[in-house]
Amino acid sequence: MRQLRRVLLVEDDPDVRAVTDFALRSVGGFCVEVCASAQEALERAEAFAPDLILLDVMMAGIDGPAALLALREIPALVRTPVVFVTAKIQPQETARYKAMGSLGVIGKPFDPTTLTETLHEMWQQQGS
Amino acid sequence: MKAQLRDLALEYSAALSEYIAKGSEAALLQAYQAGRTALAEGVGMLDLATIHQESLVAALLERLAPEASQVIVQRASQFFAESLVAFEMTHRGLKEATATLRDSNRELQHQVRSVLEEQSATRHQLEEQRRLERLKDEFISIVSHELRTPLTSIHGSLGLVSSGRAGELPPKVSHLVEIAYRNSQRLVRLAGDLLDLQRIESGSLAFELRSHELAGLLQAALEANQPYGNRFEVAFVPGPIPPGVHVRADADRLMQVLTNLLSNAAKFSPPQAEVTLDAERRGPEVRVRVSDHGPGIPEEFRQRIFQRFAQADSSSTRQREGTGLGLSISKAIVERMGGRIGFETQEGVGTTFFVDLPVAEAEPRAEEG
Repeated sequence: MRQLRRVLLVEDDPDVRAVTDFALRSVGGFCVEVCASAQEALERAEAFAPDLILLDVMMAGIDGPAALLALREIPALVRTPVVFVTAKIQPQETARYKAMGSLGVIGKPFDPTTLTETLHEMWQQQGS
Repeated sequence: MKAQLRDLALEYSAALSEYIAKGSEAALLQAYQAGRTALAEGVGMLDLATIHQESLVAALLERLAPEASQVIVQRASQFFAESLVAFEMTHRGLKEATATLRDSNRELQHQVRSVLEEQSATRHQLEEQRRLERLKDEFISIVSHELRTPLTSIHGSLGLVSSGRAGELPPKVSHLVEIAYRNSQRLVRLAGDLLDLQRIESGSLAFELRSHELAGLLQAALEANQPYGNRFEVAFVPGPIPPGVHVRADADRLMQVLTNLLSNAAKFSPPQAEVTLDAERRGPEVRVRVSDHGPGIPEEFRQRIFQRFAQADSSSTRQREGTGLGLSISKAIVERMGGRIGFETQEGVGTTFFVDLPVAEAEPRAEEG
């Protein structure tokens, strides 16, 4: 299986974005592209060609689930795994996000020191 | 006509007795209507009779000899006087009956109105109570969601800094960061517990109730929690557990309760002490017990122990780790599973928390999936 290297991070809260970005780069050693909104992600995702997209659920404007649907319209991103990050971790919500075709759901607040491990685990599980 | 009037009178008295006996509103209405019809009929009849009698007497007077007329006039007026008495009596009786009916009707209306008013007041109260309950749920839900975003960056930053990922820290700084990190962890737990409690109490959290073998669950709880016990040098040991007993429960949630009770027991045990987990069949229920050799629960605290943020002594360090919501959550979970939670305690000797759960049939394997 291909290695997980390129992560597109979509998060509208600047502080959470900075911490997550730091964790992905310095702990995970990933190549990270950071977007402050779903709109930005839609503009830059194809060019960046991510292995995985980390998508915040509650964002102003286009929210996470809507962004996922829009990203799937881009032919190059039809199969790119998406992991939602959300403060709303109701079991039924989680089930809904999974049903939308996301690879997984990470609840806020998450531990940035183990975020990399969690993403690698999800990456390994896909297709199995 | 006469027969009809009697029928009405009978109907009237029958309906009235029924109202008096049973308080039926329909009977009262029936009596009232019968009475009114009878009154109208009676007055009409008497009027008619008077006209008839008067014309009869006039005709007779014309025909008869003048000497006889005196007697006839006398008899006629006597007859009229007697008729009048009867008429008066009937009339008065009917008037009284009407008045009585009107009074009781009014009384009834009054009663109905006050009952309706009471009902609507109660409904308003209930609605208000529900509204406040909903407001509280929304508030807790919003607060814990809104807390999560800033907590993610605080907790995340501190986690990265204290793990050394952002560079080595001087010992003094490291110590302070450690304190901040530990407390941010506590805030995270608090936000989670608050949301958990709200979801369980409001019923928005679905419970997956299935039949589980108790001994297996208890063994798993012991194993999963022993690392926590080690931090306090406390050993979790199994006591007698009846084999083959099944309980109807949500396994994850029951595990949450057992974890809470075991970790509380560890926190309040002296080092090298044992905490026993055992179970006992009690008729249709099974009692699961977590017993420690801690200091016991102070008398004045026993009443409040299952309340939110209830902690006997907030200055104690071992309690600062907790959120003060563990037992409230455990109680809510146990009650949602149709069980009961309680404790027995003796100061200086120890405390036993127990959970009573309904015993269930073993679930056939084939149904699983």
